[in-house]
Amino acid sequence: MNALYALLAASLFGCALYMMLSRNLVRLLLGLSLLATAVNIMLFLAGHLRSVRPPLIAEGTDTLRESADPLPQALILTAIVIGFALTVVLSALALRAYRAHGTLNTGEIRSAEHLGDPSAHEAGGDR
Amino acid sequence: MIAWLLGFAFLGSCAAWPLSFLFGRRASGWLLALVPASLFVAFLDFVPTIAAGRAVEWRMTWAPSLGVDLTLRLDGFSFLFALLITGIGALVVVYAGDYLSNESAPSRARFFTLILLFMTAMLGAVLSDNLLVLFLFWEATSILSFLLIGFHADSPHPRRAALMALRVTAGGGLALLAAIILVGMSLGSYLLTDVTARAYELAQSPWIVPILIGVLIAAFTKSAQFPFHFWLPNAMQAPTPASAYLHSATMVKLGIYLLARFEPVIGAAPRGRDTLIAFALATMLIAAFQALRAENFKTVLAYSTVASLGILVMLVGLDGPIATVAMVGFVLAHALYKATLFFCAGSVLHATGLSKLRAMGGLVRFLPVTAVAAALASLSMAGLPPFVGFISKEFLFEAQIQSSWNAVPMAVAVLVNAVLVAVAGVVTLRPFFLGRGKVKHVKHGETPALLVGPVVLSLLGLLLSLEPDWITAAVMRPAVAAVYGADVALELPSLRHGVTQTLALSAVVVGIGALILRFWGPIHAHLRSRTLIDRYDTEHAFEAITRRGGRLAAATARWVQHGDLRKYLWVVLASGMAFVIWGHVATGRWPRLPDTLPGWRIGPAAVALIGIGGAFAAVRARTLVSTMVAVGLTGFVAALTFMMNGAPDLALTQFAVESLIVVLLTLVLLVLPLDAPSTRTRRERTLDASLAAAFSLVVFGVLVDMSTTSRATLISDFFAAHSYVSAFGRNVVNVILVDFRGFDTLGETTVIALSAILAWSLLGPRTSGAGGAAVARGRTIFILSMTSRLFFWLLTVLSVLILLRGHNQIGGGFVGGLTAALGFALISLADGTDRARAMLRVHPISLAGGGLFLAIASGLPGLILHGDFLRHLWLEIDVFGIPIKQGTTLPFDLGVYLVVLGTVLAFLFGLRREAAR
Repeated sequence: MNALYALLAASLFGCALYMMLSRNLVRLLLGLSLLATAVNIMLFLAGHLRSVRPPLIAEGTDTLRESADPLPQALILTAIVIGFALTVVLSALALRAYRAHGTLNTGEIRSAEHLGDPSAHEAGGDR
Repeated sequence: MIAWLLGFAFLGSCAAWPLSFLFGRRASGWLLALVPASLFVAFLDFVPTIAAGRAVEWRMTWAPSLGVDLTLRLDGFSFLFALLITGIGALVVVYAGDYLSNESAPSRARFFTLILLFMTAMLGAVLSDNLLVLFLFWEATSILSFLLIGFHADSPHPRRAALMALRVTAGGGLALLAAIILVGMSLGSYLLTDVTARAYELAQSPWIVPILIGVLIAAFTKSAQFPFHFWLPNAMQAPTPASAYLHSATMVKLGIYLLARFEPVIGAAPRGRDTLIAFALATMLIAAFQALRAENFKTVLAYSTVASLGILVMLVGLDGPIATVAMVGFVLAHALYKATLFFCAGSVLHATGLSKLRAMGGLVRFLPVTAVAAALASLSMAGLPPFVGFISKEFLFEAQIQSSWNAVPMAVAVLVNAVLVAVAGVVTLRPFFLGRGKVKHVKHGETPALLVGPVVLSLLGLLLSLEPDWITAAVMRPAVAAVYGADVALELPSLRHGVTQTLALSAVVVGIGALILRFWGPIHAHLRSRTLIDRYDTEHAFEAITRRGGRLAAATARWVQHGDLRKYLWVVLASGMAFVIWGHVATGRWPRLPDTLPGWRIGPAAVALIGIGGAFAAVRARTLVSTMVAVGLTGFVAALTFMMNGAPDLALTQFAVESLIVVLLTLVLLVLPLDAPSTRTRRERTLDASLAAAFSLVVFGVLVDMSTTSRATLISDFFAAHSYVSAFGRNVVNVILVDFRGFDTLGETTVIALSAILAWSLLGPRTSGAGGAAVARGRTIFILSMTSRLFFWLLTVLSVLILLRGHNQIGGGFVGGLTAALGFALISLADGTDRARAMLRVHPISLAGGGLFLAIASGLPGLILHGDFLRHLWLEIDVFGIPIKQGTTLPFDLGVYLVVLGTVLAFLFGLRREAAR
């Protein structure tokens, strides 16, 4: 079962990388979202799948008996929410970039490169 | 005690800014001079200790693991420098008060602050016993010098000069740092006293050559020695008080200070002294030559300063006790007369607005006291009795006679000193006494503040020579002893001894000097017509290196920062993969395969296969909508996987997030073009696919390998054992989030709240458009609209239940907040965003901010009662006989809930607004 989950995580990971290398901004951000899922599953696997019981302490006992590992779950829980926030902020950026440039192709969005040559100032200005 | 003095200097510099505004144009110079003046008086308090040959030390542990202690030490040599720095500092500040009277108030405040900060840095440098601390102050003086040279930053020449000085001296500082680290490696100590005491041990170190190169580069850049001498004449762009202080009397002598401290090491190292003297002679000759060619008052003085610094370096290089005596004496004599001459030059510049010596003449009519002070200083500079300059020059020749060196340094010294005599004559006679009537009127006469400095210093040059007993016993002998390492009996030269060898040499120097002075005009004109030296000056080489360095940097930046996102990602991913592979290769371990394949379950396996299919579908999809759906599918697969492996909390969160992503991204895709043709060529796609496949193969291997290892359970076991006993929660995941790792969660919550602010400021017009609302209402779906209210309230109640139960059952603030947001998303879909906003009543950003505030506030009771932020407190009360146990975890989780809800709603409303635009 572990091997199949490893295959799942690795497949999601590879597909996410391929999508992120695209020059389309939305593909990139969906790829990033996919990457977050892949990494969460990897993190989950790192805790080993030892039980299907949730890490809840049963009534009447003081300590946790046989259950899934709570530690990676706590890590992943915040990672899911942070990944969600990242995806949405990136989509807002993509939206603004489209409004400003009329394209989603990162190869055509080059306003940062058109700011000019940073070395031109000193060579021309000071002498 | 000395630490207090240093602290006082720093506080005084900080106070200079407000005080100079408070006390206005005339008074502030006099008032602020009290800072250095009182330091001067305080240092005089150490005279008995210093005269007895003892040193004052102060020590504070700073960074023990790095071997950096804040160690201050005041010995004879530091004492001489401390007196010069504070004494001349006071006069400079007084002088600057009037010199800068034309500047604006903020400008003057800036100058006072910088000059006093510089004084502090300089004091720190000469008081530090730890080399690393000395380095910090050393760099501070470079930076302050840069700021003072570039004081008039609105014109290009000072800017260029300031940058040049900074590049040269800060570059030297780096060499110093390298040398210091090597000293630390060789000796195991960073103390200057250890360097002196264990000089022979250091000289045997395998690092001795790099150490000496570093020290020499540092000293030569700071003290303007060949080949770095060019920055000092350029630095004359600084306001004259700064030139007088930094670029003649104090800062440029810091290099000499360092060399003198390292003299035992230089002397013990092979060819150490030879190197020093060779560079010193080259500097002296070039500077003397350029002094004869220079036209500007300040430039002439600057080159004569470079020559004098060369003499000082030569004296450090010469062996024998008299060389040390001569060096210490010359430091004092030069500081007195050169500062005076700079003051006089500044007064002339200020009064006439002229800078070329040729244009000046007959100024004694307008500036009589300045002229007398200049004359006195020039006589001292020329080395005529009975001035201090005479004594120091006698020692200079005495040192040369007694040293083991041949006649070359002697000949150069005679020649250069003769030029200095001529320079002394020219800078006094030309502007003040000759050429009567050249200047018809001046802008203003002399003021007390402009006179105090030159008069005091020039008179000291005379008085100290006439009454030498106090200064010899209190300052000079201890200084010599500190540098030489043993007490040296001083016998001052006097005319009473008759004609000695040294007196004869002095006479020769004055004779040649007088000749040069007589024929200054023709010599000057002839040398000016020779421009060869300008072409082969190191200044041009330096500028060429700087220019090429700039071009190289620009080309590198263009090469590295090409602006192609795909290539950036390629570099990151390829190197990431390379690191993982390298990790395997370096440890010599290859992925192991599991021995058995236990626990196959049909359901989870099918779900996982669907996920893999979804991922490939996302890659293959042609339009963005289908890509989004496929990505969403993998998200739900992840949620199911969590669900089936004992992580219902994660499953709930993932389900809620996936639903919200669909709602939010749909809003984005309403605006964007859905058709997404491939942006890559076939070749690029192949390359990308190979990289992705290779990396995922590596990841697969790592994951399979990981599953064969035994599980590390230490931390999990702790949480499992203490979750209920110590933190009173049965849901271990939630307890970890709100209690054990509450501070981490707070950080993550802050990130989420920040993303809300970012999205809100990025998206849409501030005022919500009425048109958008109308469009939204027009598309309302009847069934959805009818049922949305019901579902909204159901979801809201559910979210509160999830929040409240979270500590003991499945749930918590994150899931609760997401669930509540789903309710609003439903209303927004059914009745439009305006309806949802109206139901929210508060601003989403306020909601997120309030939540963050609540989360932080929940940690305060623990902080107040136990000194431990986010240590949760529990209270058990009976309400109508039902025991209720509640802790500060609930407000914390509620804070998380509100932040998540506010953030998602900020995204929702913002994207909706942007889409409607």
